[in-house]
Amino acid sequence: ATLCFQAFLQMCNLPIQVVCRANAEYMSPSGKVPFIHVGNQVVSELGPIVQFVKAKGHSLSDGLDEVQKAEMKAYMELVNNMLLTAELYLQWCDDATVEEITHPRYGSPYPWPLNRILSYQKQWEVRRKMKAIGWAGKTLDQVLEDVDQCCQALSQRLGTQPYFFNKQPTELDALVFGHLFTILTTQLITDELSEKVKHYSNLTAFCRRIEQQYFGGHDKDSSATAAARSAKRSLLR
Amino acid sequence: MAAPMELSCWGGDWGLPSLQPESLTVMAYAKFSGAPLTVNIINNSWRAPKGDLPVLISEDIVISQPAKILNFLRKQKYNADYQLSAKQGADTLAYIALLEEKLLPALLHTFWIEAENYCSVTKPWFASRISFPLSLYLPGKMSREALNRIMLTRGGPPLYSLTEVEAQIYRDAKECLNLLSKRLGTSQFFFGDAPTTLDAFVFGFLAPIYKVCFPRVILQEHLKQLPNLCRLCDDILTCYFRSTVSGHSPAGQDTADANLQKLTQLVNKESNLIEKMDDNLRKSPQHPPRKLTTLKLAAGGEESSPWNRLSP
Repeated sequence: ATLCFQAFLQMCNLPIQVVCRANAEYMSPSGKVPFIHVGNQVVSELGPIVQFVKAKGHSLSDGLDEVQKAEMKAYMELVNNMLLTAELYLQWCDDATVEEITHPRYGSPYPWPLNRILSYQKQWEVRRKMKAIGWAGKTLDQVLEDVDQCCQALSQRLGTQPYFFNKQPTELDALVFGHLFTILTTQLITDELSEKVKHYSNLTAFCRRIEQQYFGGHDKDSSATAAARSAKRSLLR
Repeated sequence: MAAPMELSCWGGDWGLPSLQPESLTVMAYAKFSGAPLTVNIINNSWRAPKGDLPVLISEDIVISQPAKILNFLRKQKYNADYQLSAKQGADTLAYIALLEEKLLPALLHTFWIEAENYCSVTKPWFASRISFPLSLYLPGKMSREALNRIMLTRGGPPLYSLTEVEAQIYRDAKECLNLLSKRLGTSQFFFGDAPTTLDAFVFGFLAPIYKVCFPRVILQEHLKQLPNLCRLCDDILTCYFRSTVSGHSPAGQDTADANLQKLTQLVNKESNLIEKMDDNLRKSPQHPPRKLTTLKLAAGGEESSPWNRLSP
C-alpha cells in the first residue's frame, strides 16, 4: 500500500520522503499505515489523502467524465476487495506463511514475548475479519483463483492502453501498481501469487512502465531499497 | 437437459419473490439465462434452514454462495453474459465489488441493525418463517452476524462508535447509488438491451431497499430520487417475476391468466352485442336479448354478475 501512495504522489509531481517507523500504526490517525505527514497535518488512507491532495489543487481524475469516474471507483473497490483481502489472507491465514515469514517480520521490532503476543493478536484480528466476510472457509487455491480472476479483469480493462484511462494516470493506476508491484517483488513461501500476476503480460509491462517513469528518477540503489523497504512495510500492515 | 436444479431460499413479500439480496440475485440470473430452477421457499417447516441461503441442489451437488451458484449455472450452459465483451465482463466484476463494499453494509444495517426496522419488520417476518424454537434464536444470530460484519470491515479507528460507522456507511451507500445511476444512464439494462449478471446483482441489492416497507427509510428515499434505478427494478419485476409476484404457483397463474383472457374476450363480445341490441331496440322494441343470456351462462366468472344486474 505504501507504493500506491508513493506512486500517486509521484504522479501528482509532489516530492515525498519515505520514513520507516516501528510505531507507525500508532502514529497514524486511523491506525492504518501508511500515512502522510504534511506540515502539522497527518492524513492516512488513500481516500482522504486523495481528497487532501485535491484540496491543495492537484488531481489526477479531473479529466474523467461521470461514467468514467464511476468505473474508476468500481475498479478501486475491486482491487481493495480482492487483492488486498488476498494479500491479508496469505499473510495471516495461510499457516506456512504465517509461521515462517509474517510472525518474525511483524514481531521483529519488539522483544520476546511481546513480539509473539502482538503478532498473535494481529492474526486473531485478521482471522475474525476473514470469517465475517466469508473468506475463512476458502482454501488457498480458491483465494489464488480469485486473484487470478481479478488480474484477468484488470488485464482486460487495461488492454493495450498505457494507463487504465488511456493517456493520463489516475488514482486507479497508482493503486493497481502498488498492489501488483508488491505481489511481484515480495518473497513468500511459494511463487504462486506472483505467477498469477506474471501470467498477464500487459500487467507486468504496466508495472515496469510506471516504475521506470515515476521511480526511475532516483538512482537504482535507493529506489530498489525504498521499494524493498516499502514492500516490507506494506506486509507489516 | 441437465439434472433438475432446486434452489432453497427465503420467501418474499411486498411484491418481491424473496427478501434476501443473494436469493434475488440468483433467481434473477436464472430467469435471465433461462435456467429451469425449482424454487423451494423456506417456510414454517421443521426442515430448518442450515447455514447460508440460498442453496442450489442439483443431484448430489450442493452449492451455497451466489457467485458460485452463478458459476455453476454458467458451466451448465445457462449464460446470460455471452454477448458481453471482455472489458464488459471485467466491468461487471468491478461493479459487483463496489456493491459489496459500499452498498451491502448499509443494506445489512437497514434490515438487521436499525432498531425500529429490525423489531417491527425484519425479526417478525423471519421468525414467522422459521419453525419454533429456532425462530427465537436464528433472527438474533443473523442480526449479530450483520453487526459483526459491519463493525469488522468498517468499524476500524477512528470510527469507534456505531453511530459514526452508520453515518459513514450510509454516505458510502448513497454515493454508490449515485454512481450506479450515472453508469446506467438512460439505457434499459447496464449493458444494452439484454439483462446480464450485473443487472441480476444490482436488482438483488436494490429491490429490497426499494420495495420493503420499513419505518426508517433513508436509503429508500434516496433511491427514489434516482428514477432510472427504480425503473430497472420495476422492469425486471414485471418482465421476469410476474408469475411469482402475485404469490400463486406458476401453473395456477397460467390458468388464471387464460381465464382472464377468455373473460375479457367475452366481455368485449357482450359489449359489441349490447351496442347492436341498442340499435335493434331502437329499430324494433320487441327483439329479445337471447344471445346475451346464452353468453352469460357460458362466462361463469365474476363478470357475469355485473352483467346480470345490468341486463333489462
